[in-house]
Amino acid sequence: MKSLIRAEGVHKRYGAVDVLKGIDLEVAEGEVLAVIGPSGSGKSTFLRCINHLERIDAGRLYFRDRLIGYEEREGKVYELPDKAIAAQRVDIGMVFQRFNLFPHMTALENIMTAPIMVKKEPKAEVRERAYALLTRVGLADKANSRPDQLSGGQQQRVAIARALAMRPGLMLFDEPTSALDPELVGEVLDVMRDLVKEDGMTMIIVTHEMGFAREVCDTIVFMDDGVVVESGPPGAVLGEPRHERTRAFLSKVL
Amino acid sequence: MTTTRQTAGPDSQVRIQAVPLRHPGRWVGAGVLGFLAIFLLQGWVANPRMEWKVVGEYLFSPAVLTGLGTTLLLTVLAMVVGVAGGIVLAVLRMSPNPLLSALSGFYIWVFRGVPLLVQLLFWYFLSAVVPTIGFGVPWGPTFVEFDTNMIITQLTAAVLGLGLHEAAYMGEIVRAGITSVDPGQTEAAHALGLTRFQTLRKIILPQAMRVIIPPTGNQVVSMLKTTSLVFAIAVPELLTSIQGIYSRNFQQVALLTVACFWYLVATTVLNAGQHYIERKFSR
Repeated sequence: MKSLIRAEGVHKRYGAVDVLKGIDLEVAEGEVLAVIGPSGSGKSTFLRCINHLERIDAGRLYFRDRLIGYEEREGKVYELPDKAIAAQRVDIGMVFQRFNLFPHMTALENIMTAPIMVKKEPKAEVRERAYALLTRVGLADKANSRPDQLSGGQQQRVAIARALAMRPGLMLFDEPTSALDPELVGEVLDVMRDLVKEDGMTMIIVTHEMGFAREVCDTIVFMDDGVVVESGPPGAVLGEPRHERTRAFLSKVL
Repeated sequence: MTTTRQTAGPDSQVRIQAVPLRHPGRWVGAGVLGFLAIFLLQGWVANPRMEWKVVGEYLFSPAVLTGLGTTLLLTVLAMVVGVAGGIVLAVLRMSPNPLLSALSGFYIWVFRGVPLLVQLLFWYFLSAVVPTIGFGVPWGPTFVEFDTNMIITQLTAAVLGLGLHEAAYMGEIVRAGITSVDPGQTEAAHALGLTRFQTLRKIILPQAMRVIIPPTGNQVVSMLKTTSLVFAIAVPELLTSIQGIYSRNFQQVALLTVACFWYLVATTVLNAGQHYIERKFSR
């Protein structure tokens, strides 16, 4: 299968701290990948590098065989201008731990803004699609609600709809249920599960929901201290971990 | 079957009839202040040298009302220049381009560092050193040329002076507003493919308004009073008109009372508006 994301020796440092110490990874079209690991292991940072919210310091990170945030010509790497980076992000949807809905807009406006502003799609068409997406995430009746009138689970579902409205080829989820009250986690996971089953969406999910990861994901990557310790099918990584660090982590969370 | 349960006895429903705490100090203080107020007011109102007739005569005179109109016009124009300039300065200050950021910092340093009165005089007397303003090739031919005195009239000098000075302060207010917005908002907008400029215009600035608008209301009230400084370059606003009148009839205090009255009326109206806006945006 064709690889959508390819990471080769990705490094990222903040000041004197190496957060990512050489990540090698491939994500195929249609693959669902969960990244697990203790906090501070660099899993969220890696996710943010994929749509260039963080710039990488060394290595190569490709999306559809194009460098992310940079351009390579004749053996030299050039920074991309703001507009080109924005254009690259159009195809990559992202869902944040803290939802980050735009508080001054209704749920519907949150979903409609980017397709209209970025893709210049006709308003009527976008509105129709936004309603369809809200229906899909079970919030058709909340179209005109503002984020502060919605529960955390509802906000996150709107955030997923907002990302889907751009028709991305890849969805990134950065601990999408970590900020939710326990009883609201299920409704968000249901929407994500539906995305995998119905759309065959390629997804990279940073999560602590081991049950969900085992059920939905094709591959699980365990990261610790800025490196990928092991990766493989859920049964193998969660069931028979080969590394001591993986075992130690799983014994704490399972 | 329904049962009515008595949860609290009737005794607990009786309101406490406590004797209120006495505040004798307040009564003494009020008495002293009241006495002082009456004493001072009597000295002012009943002063035989205070020409109340003159106050009444000029309170609604056309010269004073025209001056008041000019004061209000100046306030509006200077604030428009100030707010527009402030947004530009804040955006430049936060730009990743070090040249633009430094330029904005330099502007704020200069315009906050030089007294406003000096700046007003500077703009007014600009024609003395720059007699003409033209458009053309530097050190080459000039295509259009104007007499500086034609462009920078007293009113434009006043608007420029007040507005450019205000822009430096508004720049800091706008910047505080922009930095108050959660960085997650920028990230979400960027992740959706919005450019930096689109993010600023559609996502950040609308949210920053909550923080920007209340202090801007303060700036408007302050500007209304600050416009009186332009009497130095003889713009016929409220204070200049008042001055013109008392230089002829020598009723300074009576006429300044007229000025105080109108400034207080205007600031009271603005403060009420400010109060309303703050309440609206604090939600």
